[in-house]
Amino acid sequence: MSLIKADLAEILKKQYFFKFKANIDVFSSLVGLQLLAVLFSLGGGMYTGYYGGGMDISMKLYSADMVILFTMIWALITSVTITTKPYRNYEFTFVTNRISSSLSNILFLLTISLLAGFTSMLSANLIHVLVYFFIDSGMLIYEQHMQDIITGVISTSLYIFLFCSFGYLFGAFIQVHKVFSGLIPVGIIGLLLFDGMKLNSTIAMFYFNEPSLFMFFIKTIILAGIAFAVAILILRNMEVKR
Amino acid sequence: MGVIECREVSKKYLRKKALNQLSFTIEENKITGLIGRNGAGKTTLLKLLSGFIKPTSGKIKIFSEKPFDNLTVSVNSILIDDQMAFPTALNLGDILVAASKFYPNWDSKLAEGLLNYFSFKTYQYHNRLSKGQKSTFNMIVGLSSHCPLTMFDEPTTGMDEAVRKDFYRALLKDYIAYPRTILISSHHLEEIEHILEDVLLIKNGECILHQSITDLKEMMIAIQGKKEEVSSLLLNHDVISEQMIGTDYMQKVIKRHEISEDSILSARRSGLEINAVSPSQACLYLTQERKGGIDDVFN
Repeated sequence: MSLIKADLAEILKKQYFFKFKANIDVFSSLVGLQLLAVLFSLGGGMYTGYYGGGMDISMKLYSADMVILFTMIWALITSVTITTKPYRNYEFTFVTNRISSSLSNILFLLTISLLAGFTSMLSANLIHVLVYFFIDSGMLIYEQHMQDIITGVISTSLYIFLFCSFGYLFGAFIQVHKVFSGLIPVGIIGLLLFDGMKLNSTIAMFYFNEPSLFMFFIKTIILAGIAFAVAILILRNMEVKR
Repeated sequence: MGVIECREVSKKYLRKKALNQLSFTIEENKITGLIGRNGAGKTTLLKLLSGFIKPTSGKIKIFSEKPFDNLTVSVNSILIDDQMAFPTALNLGDILVAASKFYPNWDSKLAEGLLNYFSFKTYQYHNRLSKGQKSTFNMIVGLSSHCPLTMFDEPTTGMDEAVRKDFYRALLKDYIAYPRTILISSHHLEEIEHILEDVLLIKNGECILHQSITDLKEMMIAIQGKKEEVSSLLLNHDVISEQMIGTDYMQKVIKRHEISEDSILSARRSGLEINAVSPSQACLYLTQERKGGIDDVFN
């Protein structure tokens, strides 16, 4: 039987498409979670009232923020899940090495981030329509341009992708030792509380208040890249323990 | 040039040595049986060969490449065991389609034929199968992949008698049609000896024998007869095993080359019974700890 020389690109492609089939549950959980978030969003937020001169104006903001938040949590959980033992093991049933496994995981996460960013942006429309027909048929002020939607989708996807990279790194640490599954969340929350949310606001300023989409893109890709690179280095020497 | 080359390979798990300075070479297109007692290191060796784990020391070459984290070795080899993991979202049909995409030599006709023969349905899920069915399905994946290096680790776990026989027959037929290097680990040598060419026997992580099955068949003889006669005949021989039969009779096992043809002939004439020792018995003698048997525990 003749030997076949392995081609990394070819195998990456196969793994990438295989992962969509194998991780089909990821999509159903996304749909379920986003629908739940839409339901929660119908309550609205940011209530502003104005009374005076014989007029009573009240404004309520209905947005997809809740959906985006839920989607980020979903991204975190999904990326941790695909680093766990059963998910890594079934790749070794077929053809893989550690690098191709991680690279195809990253491509998969990037794709689902784009998809999730797209659906969570569109969910804003669903929320508005639902509110208008079923809850609050007052005056609906609604303005959205194509450009806003595109910017929204890209930036939301980038946030989700960033969370995927954190999740992947977190998952890689857990694979080294289970103790990290508790240590890291406690450490992060502790750190935030310890310095009175100062670090928190610096990070927020750096990432969440970036006016230029391009700069934001660069920053996100660099940070996600670092997280993925560290995760790859960690997972590289991982032995397969069935 | 062998397909598998191991030079002084050791593997430690924490403090326990699973493999100890193991060296051997396996030639292309041979069926080799990997035989050893529980905990001898069979599974560890197979995992090392598939590149799942790294050796603590020593060199392993599969197709002249290091197996750990090696894509070429991964494409060209497959390890079948009862721990094989498949995505729970895929049914058996989907799994076979996925495997056909990953393994370039995949034989869809064989996979379909075996699937039907063992009455699996493509819509079944792997995690719902019984133990024996899982082993059977894994075996189908292993055979159909036609990997140049195919390894089976205790492939018949949980299979019933009929399926086991079918499996060995299928393996042999497919091997004849598509010769490739096959390694099968098992405790039941008598079950697989008819399909093996070579036997690799390991004990406590060390290779104690690597030779053809025909040599192993002729390796030992058992001499049975009156206690005094047997003892006097084998006074100066290295006895591998001895066993009392009743009070007057006994059986001793020695290596064949230890005794000349003439003495065998004269022993036969004087009423001693001389029999060949089966390969599985021979392996048992080679791997047993010398001091006593299970009976000693209760005495």
